[in-house]
Amino acid sequence: MQIERRLPRIAVQGLTGCAGELLVILENLGSVLPFVQVASFPFAQSKNDLSDIDIAFVEGSVSQKHDIDSIKEIRARSKWLVAVGNCAVHGCVQSSTCSRYKAKELVEAVYAKDSPIEALDAKPLSSYVNVDVELSGCPIDKNQFLAVLASLLKDHLPYIIDRPVCLECKMRENGCVLIEKNLPCLGPVTAAGCGALCPSFEAACYGCFGPCKDPQLNAMATVLSEKGYNLSDILVRLGTFGIPEQVLSNLDVKR
Amino acid sequence: MGSVYAPVRVSDQSFAFRSVRDEAEIAFEALRTILPPKKFFYPAKETILECDGDEVKEHIEVVEPFAVFGVHPCDLAGLNALDKIFLSTPQDSHYQRRRRAAFIIGLSCLPDKHCFCKAMKADAPGKGYDLFLTDLEDKYFVQVNNQEAFEFILSCKEFMHLASDQDNQGYKKFWNDRDSMFEHNFDSAQLPNLMDLGWDHPLWQELGERCLSCGNCTPVCPTCYCFDMTDVAMFNSEKVEAERQRVWDSCQFSGFAAVAGGENFRPGPVDRLKFWYRHKLHGFEDPIEIPSCVGCGRCTVSCPSGIDDLPGVIRILAGRPQLNLEGEIA
Ligand code: SF4
Ligand code: SF4
Ligand code: SF4
Ligand code: SF4
Repeated sequence: MQIERRLPRIAVQGLTGCAGELLVILENLGSVLPFVQVASFPFAQSKNDLSDIDIAFVEGSVSQKHDIDSIKEIRARSKWLVAVGNCAVHGCVQSSTCSRYKAKELVEAVYAKDSPIEALDAKPLSSYVNVDVELSGCPIDKNQFLAVLASLLKDHLPYIIDRPVCLECKMRENGCVLIEKNLPCLGPVTAAGCGALCPSFEAACYGCFGPCKDPQLNAMATVLSEKGYNLSDILVRLGTFGIPEQVLSNLDVKR
Repeated sequence: MGSVYAPVRVSDQSFAFRSVRDEAEIAFEALRTILPPKKFFYPAKETILECDGDEVKEHIEVVEPFAVFGVHPCDLAGLNALDKIFLSTPQDSHYQRRRRAAFIIGLSCLPDKHCFCKAMKADAPGKGYDLFLTDLEDKYFVQVNNQEAFEFILSCKEFMHLASDQDNQGYKKFWNDRDSMFEHNFDSAQLPNLMDLGWDHPLWQELGERCLSCGNCTPVCPTCYCFDMTDVAMFNSEKVEAERQRVWDSCQFSGFAAVAGGENFRPGPVDRLKFWYRHKLHGFEDPIEIPSCVGCGRCTVSCPSGIDDLPGVIRILAGRPQLNLEGEIA
């Protein structure tokens, strides 16, 4: 008797985020359907079963009490947990420059005093659970997503480029907008993966894939301030997509 | 017919070798392209092995013949250096296949303030080309390096005439005049010694603290050959396939000298920048004695932080920052 092999079960879940990753995954579901069974994807289907998951993709930061419960549950039920998007990987907009304010102050300003909303300081998934793979991007790149899934289906940890955008920018042979146009390009400190999209259209990289490995923020801020950018603008720009406020407030800018 | 690649303008200040179909597309004035011609032979990303699910086999790319027009002497020297690396035994068959398929047409140039190929002894068209054109304003003086190039010349005889005495004089005058135009004129034989003496110079700290670790300085270098290998799984129509890819790497990235156990030989930008300078100006104690810099000035113009100034660093290491080191280093 032959035992029928079931297709690997994937889950696609969202915490506090904009659904950008969910959309990218939805748009590319067609090409992965022959290889997986979509066990849970509340954004896209009404019947969901979050048990015995092989690969879970989770978008969004942990910023409410029920997010903590969700992420712990997903972790417990999945073999591989993949954080997708800057919110899940870095906390993104909710945690970076917004962390200048206390969560309580923000809740009171946005909702009302004594509102029942239980907002926490937004944190990446890795603050609460072990994450196997982190794929940044705001939103993620579809080719990177497909490569991650293909790799995990082979039980092989995927290679995700952690080099700066400048490498991809050089490979495309763009004129450097930081040098030639004095635009505030964050390519040197931003993780590649987008294929240097903005500089390829003569725009400055604004860091939407989050920091690259070991970003040289002092040097980046120094170079930008020498070009005449004002330090507080530089810090906001650096902080938007995931460089933590604590890191930014300790920068040592040589000028 | 394969493609013809030549420098085209890609932005206000930059050029790149791109495929061209018409003479009008060519930027004859291009002094340095963003990437050197190494990209044709040792591409930024290439597949080395492929796996169809069961079997792993070498990926063998079919390379159509192609021509690269407008390669300056420093870039020819860069290719010669890469030949020594990739074509020494064991030969890199991927590089060799492309090198064999290429027809290289060199072109003379006049230096700007960042050029120091003369000091690095990479300023004259030596080997590595099929044809070399020297611009004599109303005509080109053509040097023919091999049988294939000679046959090409015969195929377009109507555009050619035998060089006259006057042409020969014109050729010599061009290269003599060019020789006197270089700003940087130091003795590169002393560079290894200078680098050894300056191993602990405060300059490294000062420059390294400004380094973005962006790695722009190494892909642009005609002699940088470092790569990483990654295994990439991918979806194909029916089953999951995988490839082993070779991708350009850079010693300026923090993972470059990381080893198992979480250790890193060069954890910070100061260590990495110093290492880069050392490899460029000292070279490795390598049996094939690879010249690691050909003086093209690409790193200088590509560094967003303005810290890749090899001639400037050489002056400082030599202890004579104010002097223009005509012909010597103390
Ligand atoms: S344009 Fe931006 S990403 Fe591209 S090389 Fe310059 S700094 Fe790097
Ligand atoms: S080190 Fe700089 S100047 Fe020397 S060959 Fe490389 S890119 Fe050109
Ligand atoms: S070690 Fe660095 S400088 Fe030397 S070849 Fe490799 S990338 Fe270039
Ligand atoms: S030396 Fe310049 S180009 Fe090279 S990594 Fe540092 S900042 Fe980037």
